[in-house]
Amino acid sequence: MRILVVEDDADLNRQLVVALSDAGYAVDAAMDGEEAYYLGDTEPYDLIVLDIGLPKMDGISILEQWRRSDKKFPVIILTARDRWSDKVQGIDAGADDYLAKPFHMEELLARARAQLRRATGHAKSEIECGSVRLDTNSARVTCDGEPIKLTSHEFRLLAYLMHHRGRVVSRTELVEHLYDQDFDRDSNTIEVFIGRLRKKIPADIIETVRGLGYRITAEDDAS
Amino acid sequence: MRLDSIAVRLIAASMAWTVIVLPLAGYLIYQLYRADVQESFDSQLQKLVTAITVDSMAEGASSPLPPPNRYEPLFEFTHSGWYWQIQPIDGQGGPTLRSASLATAALPSPLQLGYPPDPDTNMRWRNDVGPDGRSVRIVEVINTLGHEDGKPRYSIIVAGPSAWLEASVATFRTRLSLALAVAGLALLALMVFQIRFGLAPLQRVEQALAQIRSGEASRLEGDVPAEIEPLRDELNALIQSNEDIVERARTQVGNLAHGLKTPLAVITNEARSAKGPLGAKVVEQAQIMSDQVQHYLERARIAARVGVVGRVTSVRDVVDPLVRALERIHADKAIRISVQCPPAAMFQGEKHDLEEMLGNLLDNACKWSKERVRLSVETAPAPTRTGRRRLKITIEDDGPGLNADQRARIGKRGLRLDETKPGSGLGLSIVIDLAQSYRGGLTLTEAPLGGLKASLDLPAI
Repeated sequence: MRILVVEDDADLNRQLVVALSDAGYAVDAAMDGEEAYYLGDTEPYDLIVLDIGLPKMDGISILEQWRRSDKKFPVIILTARDRWSDKVQGIDAGADDYLAKPFHMEELLARARAQLRRATGHAKSEIECGSVRLDTNSARVTCDGEPIKLTSHEFRLLAYLMHHRGRVVSRTELVEHLYDQDFDRDSNTIEVFIGRLRKKIPADIIETVRGLGYRITAEDDAS
Repeated sequence: MRLDSIAVRLIAASMAWTVIVLPLAGYLIYQLYRADVQESFDSQLQKLVTAITVDSMAEGASSPLPPPNRYEPLFEFTHSGWYWQIQPIDGQGGPTLRSASLATAALPSPLQLGYPPDPDTNMRWRNDVGPDGRSVRIVEVINTLGHEDGKPRYSIIVAGPSAWLEASVATFRTRLSLALAVAGLALLALMVFQIRFGLAPLQRVEQALAQIRSGEASRLEGDVPAEIEPLRDELNALIQSNEDIVERARTQVGNLAHGLKTPLAVITNEARSAKGPLGAKVVEQAQIMSDQVQHYLERARIAARVGVVGRVTSVRDVVDPLVRALERIHADKAIRISVQCPPAAMFQGEKHDLEEMLGNLLDNACKWSKERVRLSVETAPAPTRTGRRRLKITIEDDGPGLNADQRARIGKRGLRLDETKPGSGLGLSIVIDLAQSYRGGLTLTEAPLGGLKASLDLPAI
């Protein structure tokens, strides 16, 4: 899951990036409106945390332009302006949620998880595929109730596939959504991580679709 | 009407004028009239005495001839008040002749009494009491038969009833006083009207000022008299500068508050990641600061529009976008927000304030509800005698609700009943502050749906 943080306050920006990275997301950061607009327009983010008061271009216009060019990623607005008229304006411009400063980082993380789940069509905080269960709240993976230890890259890969279970996810898509823009993208690493994952969870859960990518089957779609 | 009002001063001044000038004028008119009547009476007496003298002092007669009675019929009636008398004054010249009206009485001669003659006419005048007991005016001419010198002199006297004169003057005085009193009253009434009329623009200004105070107008508009124009311009400039100051203060409070929020967020986040008592203390204090910032930001917003109640807001225009936004924010819960709001429902107040109140209440309801939130709006006539309509807005949810004790504690600033649900804990206290600033209120009860029922009472149009 790849997230763009748009915040012009350097400290807050850094804190957001750290907190989201720690929570297992690939995070890019933008400090001004133009950079934010460009990144959102060109990179396939799964979520954007957007400040409204930005230099060069304000958050609302950026959001409206993204929505006009049919960008569907969920957007959480983060702003000091917390009047309901501001919230309504933000939501009407295309935001999915609204968080007023000062906020608790836990709350932002909770909202981010909720938006990511919602965007991929999951109502519950837990996603199940066969014996493997992902708790998005605690960022823990269990197999038949037993906790599984994963590195952050392994977790990101599994979480992305599970969020998009039942769908073939190409290697390119995985690269785009698992690594931030500064990461040295080598699609071979994906194969390495898939291989490691298959050793930690039942190997047949991740299916290789030749020439297209990978898929986690959703046969156990009881949830 | 106050004693130091301009109207009272003007009326008092006019009254003083009237009280001084009218009696003075009355006295003058009375004196002129009296002199005039006296003069015409005197001239009549003068004519009579001249005619009698000419008739009686005929040339060549040995004694005066009784004058023919063609001048005044009343000479014939006893004690009529009109008399004549021809009396020799040097002890010779025959008997004294008298009008029949005198009967046996005699009129004393002013000459003998020592009255000086009038230098122009050589007549002597005197006021006396006649044989009838009423006052008479007497005129006397001294003459000789045939107007020749050296002949015996006669005192020729004519008297007329001056009582009649007095009565006539008295009647005139009464009528004059009456007329002047009526004129005075009419003048006073006119003055009151004139002052009212003259001061009417001031009254309009007063009403316009009241409208400004009540928020129905923001400027002193309309035509004012030339004298008040500078006052109006100054006042408008004052209002404008006042608005500017309030607006500046509001903007600065807003900027300060918003400027503090990002650093507060940074401090809080930094402190939370730091372990140990210092971090915890910083988090705690940052939370207090944040609540304070939020509280005073709200207070500043409320204070900035105190007195501005002339605004009207369509409830529907506020509710619809809010519901749209909240359904989006709480999309993962698939909450149904049913709205029952007549399109004509109007809130008497600022749009932002209604948005804050409804937004916070609806957001709370959405946070706690399982699936249903119900909002209904109705306008009702006020129970008070002022007759202003009230807006009743109720927001219900099907969540866990609150017990009576919790409901009583709610609204205290910063108090959060449940720390597990996100929120600053200021939502309801802001709603209460706002509702109270509109002389309304918020009541919390149990909803038929099971959760909390929040009822807002606000002024309507």
